[in-house]
Order: sequence, then C-alpha cells, then structure tokens
Amino acid sequence: MDINTTFATQEIWTWSIAVYLYLGGLGAATLVVTFLTDMYLKPHRDLVLWGAFSGIAMLGLGSLMLFVHLLDHLAVLHVLNPLVLIRQPHAWIAWGTQFIIWMMWWGVFYALPYMIDSPQLNRVPLLRTLLQLGLVRKLSTRCCLRFHKAIGWLATINGIGVAVYTGLLLQSFPAVALWHNPGVPLLFTVSAFSTAMAFLLLLLNLVIKREEDRPIRVFYERTDVMLIAAELVILFSFFHYMSAGSESAMQSAKLLWSDMGWLIGFIGFGLIVPFFLELRCVLRGSSGHAPVMLAAVLVLFGGYLLRHYFLAAGVYAYPW
Amino acid sequence: MTRYAMVIDLNTCVGCNACMAACAMENQTPVWKNEWRTWVHDQEIGSGEDVHRRFFPRLCNHCDNPPCLSVCPTGATYQLANGIVKVDEALCMGCRACAMACPYDARIEVTWEDVREGKAFYGNDYRRERPSMDKCTFCDHRVEQGRKPACVETCVGSARLFGDLHDPDDPVAQLVASGVARPLLPHLGTSPNIYYIGDLKRKG
Repeated sequence: MDINTTFATQEIWTWSIAVYLYLGGLGAATLVVTFLTDMYLKPHRDLVLWGAFSGIAMLGLGSLMLFVHLLDHLAVLHVLNPLVLIRQPHAWIAWGTQFIIWMMWWGVFYALPYMIDSPQLNRVPLLRTLLQLGLVRKLSTRCCLRFHKAIGWLATINGIGVAVYTGLLLQSFPAVALWHNPGVPLLFTVSAFSTAMAFLLLLLNLVIKREEDRPIRVFYERTDVMLIAAELVILFSFFHYMSAGSESAMQSAKLLWSDMGWLIGFIGFGLIVPFFLELRCVLRGSSGHAPVMLAAVLVLFGGYLLRHYFLAAGVYAYPW
Repeated sequence: MTRYAMVIDLNTCVGCNACMAACAMENQTPVWKNEWRTWVHDQEIGSGEDVHRRFFPRLCNHCDNPPCLSVCPTGATYQLANGIVKVDEALCMGCRACAMACPYDARIEVTWEDVREGKAFYGNDYRRERPSMDKCTFCDHRVEQGRKPACVETCVGSARLFGDLHDPDDPVAQLVASGVARPLLPHLGTSPNIYYIGDLKRKG
C-alpha cells in the first residue's frame, strides 16, 4: 500500500497541562527536598513550613489545571478513589493522582508539629483554633512526632513518584517518538528537582534570610549546578536521538531546534545562563544574593518552558 | 472466540461519505462541529499530470493492545472479549489521555455543550446524557443482533468488509491471512484490527 505520511502536532494538551506537569514536579520535589533537609541536614521549622505550604499549594494549583481541563468534572471522583489502582494499574494518571493526594497528606502531617509550635501560625485566627484542637494536638504528638521520619520518607517516596509520573505520563503515548522513550521521565525528574532547588534558594534568600542557613544554600547551589549539568547532558542525548530517529522524532527535532523560545529561552536562559551563574557562586563563593536569585528565577522559568515545548513539539506521523 | 475486524478496500471506495452519514445517524455523533467516528480522507497523490485521487476511510482500529485503554485513568475505556473497544460514558472524566495515546486519531470529544446541541439536533431520540470521549464501537449494538456496522451496511462500493478474524471461512480472515489486507502502523505494537487493501489500480 502506498502510504502518505501526514505530520501533525496536537492541540489537546496545551499550556494548562504543561502547568500541571510543571507544578506537579516542582511542588512534589520542593516537599521532598525540604523534608530531607530537615531530616538529615539541619532541622529547620521555617523551611519545612514554607516548603510544605508552597509545595502543597503548587500541587493543588497544578491539579486544578487538570481538573478544569476535564470534560466531566464530577467523574473525577472515580480517579480519587484509591481502589482505581487495582482497576487501572497501568494508567499513570491514576498513579499520579494518588501520589499527589497522598503527598499532600504526608506534607501536612510532617509539618503539623512545626505548625503547632509556630508563633506566626498561631496568630492566624481560624488556623489558631484548628491547631489548638485536642484531636489535632494528639495527632501531632502521638503520630506525627512519633513517626516523623517515617512520614518524611513516605512523603519522599510519594514526591519522587509524582516527579517521575509527570514524565511517565508522556512516555505512555506510543505514537510520538519525542515522548515515548525512557529519557522523558528522567529529564522531567531531574528538571523537577532542579526547579525545586531554585525555588528553595529563592525562599532562603528572599523570605527566610538567615545567615546560619548558608551551608544549606551552598548545598542547594551545588546540587542545582549538578542537576542543570545532568539536564544538559540528557538534552544533548535527546538531540541526537531525535536527529537520526523515526520520522516523528525528526519532525519534533525540526520544531524544537529551530525555535528561538526553546533554544534561547529554555536552553540559553533556562539552563546555560543559570548554570554559569550558580557555578560562579560555587567556585568563588557567594558574591551577594542577586546572582543566585537571578539564576533561580531563570531555572524556574526554564522548567515551565521545557514542559510547554515538549507538549507542543510532540509530532504524530499519520499514515494517510 | 470471535475477533471482529474490518477490511477496507481503497480500490472500491468512491468517497461518497455515506459511511460517515450512516454512522452519524446510527451513533448520534457531534457532526455540527465536523467530528465523526468514521470519516473519509480525500487525497490527491502524485504530481504534474500523474495525479490520482484517493479516498481513505478511517475509524478506530480496535487494537488488540489498545494504548487508549492502558492510559485511561478511570477504566472508562474497556475491551469486550470479541475485541471491540468501547467507552463507558459514566466513568469517563474526559482527561483526553486516550486521544493523546491513539496513533490513529480516532477519538472525539463530546462536551456538555455538545450534549445540549445533540438534544436539539437529534431530538427526543438522543441517547447521550453526559460528556465523555467518544469513539467507534463497530456498532456493537447492531453486531449483537447479527447485523453489520452501519458504515459497512451502507457502503455503496462494498469497500468495507466486516467479519471474524478467527473464522477461517470468513472473507475478512482470508484477506488478512493472504497478506493483501494490511494494518496501519503495525510497528507501534498496537495490533490494530482495521486492514487496508492498497489502491492497486494506480499501479496499472
């Protein structure tokens, strides 16, 4: 049979799903890094509170983007039920939804003892009443404090699950070569943790602002430099995979590598510029907060662009 | 066990689009926004004076290994024992992952607005009550009664053959076994059950 090939990009999942993937990965990784820092680097109430609140808010906002996108909002109840994993164990959205829901619970449980001790939160009218409830205090002392590390690890496992899921979701679509390969979950996971480091650097430099946190900031800067470097290596391998791959991959390559938003916006300003800014801070020691904060903003901006362009450049090769 | 499949002969499709109309009336699809469960591509192939017109009917391929089913988070997409892939509209939340996963572009969306429009367009007989992703069902409600899918029954050129792949006496099974009828995108591993007979007449 003579086959014509028609190349087409999709307009089904656009910016709102890119925001969902972005905030899902960023929110989950923020919670993971925050809790691991608190457990193994330095106990840090303010970092946990800010990290937990912002992480949960990001997960909630990201999920809202997917929810708004649905055709039948009431039917979402089917996927909120944990038993969905028994019925659809091969559907990544089912796993992702459960990971996100449980991540939020573990995030609240881990932060609860700190919330009860926080003078600032105890000044918030409604929250103060809630935190002073006997049941909440019992939950905090008998469960959250007693099993603090276990909860931290449950949150960590769920958070990594969310970050990996954002890539696995795209990987599960077999017709698009750009998505259907093992590099996507890896790339999205590395990007999620890199953006989380950037976000926490912003928190530490802009909001918490404590001199004694310098070792944490340095650790985050060093880790982020390595993560950005890893991201660049993964993207380089993607470039080669796409340049000599299937027709679908080659069409995606044409779209991505000729687009200034991808090349200059994401790779240039979202990866290379922040890499050198952070590398300079790591090698020479910090010279003020401005370069790190600029790098962090650029990494966060680049993290969204990655997902946006990845969705936009997925090419279907139709045989007609 | 029955395994339903369809063979489409590109030599005899005349592009009358009767299959589209029959399917739309049978299955009440949202035609007002030009979305169909089956549709016919009208293509010009070649260049200069050597140009041919080809009609290319398309529909859900009812794959043995349907990616739309494996990505469906609620289980709304399911497969009958006879291979027909269906959607339970009560379970579907409309995330559109199935549309993203389908290599054959065979999913269409029905929104709340379409449900309202459908009631006006198809009148009191309109069956749908909720939005969901929609797709070809091989007219399983007709097949259960021993009838052919609407698109097959209405095809003036007999371009569409419907039958049981597991029945060696069925013409569909014979055409597939002979290698004359071939599936689309077999390398993706979806094991589709729509087979095409290439347009032989153009090869003279």
